[in-house]
Amino acid sequence: MRIPPHTLVRVFWRCLFLQAAWNRRGMQNLGFGYAIDPALRVLYPEPERRKEALRRHLAFFNCHPYTAAAIVGGAIHHEERVASGEEPGGASQAYKATLQGPLAAIGDGFFWTALRPFFGALAALGTLLVGWPAVVAALVIYNAIHLALRIRLFRAGYLLGDALLGEVARLSLPSLAGLLRVGAAVLAGLSAAVVVSRGAMGPAGASAWIALLAAVLGYGALSRGARLLPAAYAVIALGAGAALAVVRLRGGP
Amino acid sequence: MPPWGPSRSSAATKRAASGRLRGEIVDYILLGVVAGLAAVERKGFLQAMLSRPIVLAPAAGLLLGDLAGGLAVAPALELLWLGAVNLGAAVPVHEALGAAAIAGGAVLAGKALGTGVTPAVAVLAVVLCAPLALAGRKADRLVEQQNERLAARADALLERGDFRAAVRENLYGLAMPFAISAVLAPLGAAVSAAMVPAVLRHLPGAEGPLAAGWIAFTAFAAASAARAIRAPGAPVAFFAALAAGTIAILLAPGGVR
Repeated sequence: MRIPPHTLVRVFWRCLFLQAAWNRRGMQNLGFGYAIDPALRVLYPEPERRKEALRRHLAFFNCHPYTAAAIVGGAIHHEERVASGEEPGGASQAYKATLQGPLAAIGDGFFWTALRPFFGALAALGTLLVGWPAVVAALVIYNAIHLALRIRLFRAGYLLGDALLGEVARLSLPSLAGLLRVGAAVLAGLSAAVVVSRGAMGPAGASAWIALLAAVLGYGALSRGARLLPAAYAVIALGAGAALAVVRLRGGP
Repeated sequence: MPPWGPSRSSAATKRAASGRLRGEIVDYILLGVVAGLAAVERKGFLQAMLSRPIVLAPAAGLLLGDLAGGLAVAPALELLWLGAVNLGAAVPVHEALGAAAIAGGAVLAGKALGTGVTPAVAVLAVVLCAPLALAGRKADRLVEQQNERLAARADALLERGDFRAAVRENLYGLAMPFAISAVLAPLGAAVSAAMVPAVLRHLPGAEGPLAAGWIAFTAFAAASAARAIRAPGAPVAFFAALAAGTIAILLAPGGVR
């Protein structure tokens, strides 16, 4: 028994809602059940078998929301075989249990801590320099990559089943992630440089020094474990206070 | 001139004032809807960067009629909260709620002042509304607890054989994050819209120092972004780019405006 393509499209669409009811106990369990349900409906016309299958997929699950699409695909791959009696009912559960950890690590390590920060920093720098077109460009490129990979992972999971990990390894995401992270740090440094140089060209040239100090001291404070918002308030107060002091020293208004 | 002349003109003022009020109410509703949708996009549906501050702040500005105002605060907020990511079961600060409230508050305060979003307006909006990002995290934890009920209901419906209803419980989880941001973002923005103009009108000399505070904040935000990137080469890359970029921009003919 194979799942018709339009049902697979429906399942993929529902994968986008994986975290809609994220909860402490089952985490993405409801999302997983919601996503895979259209496939189970096709595979198990008998209510008892469908109930049993859906119960399997309402059990604890947690992964990265993008890479989880591969596991949903792979779970359908196994459910097709379970439905036809080639595999025992536990096959799809074992598949999910084995893959959710590694794929979560790959998703967090590539998308959340490398690709998205890179495009966030790129859009920030671009906005400082050229305005809104930078936001649109970053959004389009990021999502072209994100959606292409999300669809590809879903397909790979469905078509390859257990051989999925080889396909994921071929993408060499961890080494790409390293490059993207250094790139994001460079973009953050360039953003700070734009701010510093604008401070130098503003009416009060002292702003450049204030910005430079804010970047250097701020980095140091955060490295030593300072909390983000208290540090931000301190920087704002010190920046404004320093500007006030400079104005007073120069005898200005 | 008819004897009711003055009263008619006061009626016209009243009409204008009520039109303005209606405009403001529409602004707050729009801001609430966009903040709510962003909260949903951020976790429950899609995750396509639409709820990141760099996109959300200009979007909020555009809806409130001041794209430039949204763009003025977006880069600093994106960089400040670049490390706000949802890893495993950890709950990050609610950067989308913070960004919607700050951008909305800055734009509405700029409208009230008639100056648009100046650096002083931006920094005051940050000071007033940034804590909402922490409140949003608290609310997220509550939502995750409440969602256990949805899961339990789904289990019960499954046992009864109502499969469609069981899995549909998933979608009900979208309501609370939407509602929380849709209420808190306009509230924060309203506080900004009321207080920022008051502060700047009473302290006309504060504009310059506050502008310096905004520059300091933006530079700090860039440092926070670099700090959030956990790579061995990140500090060197950040400081090298900062030094090289500053020298290059200052030496470039014409420089950067």
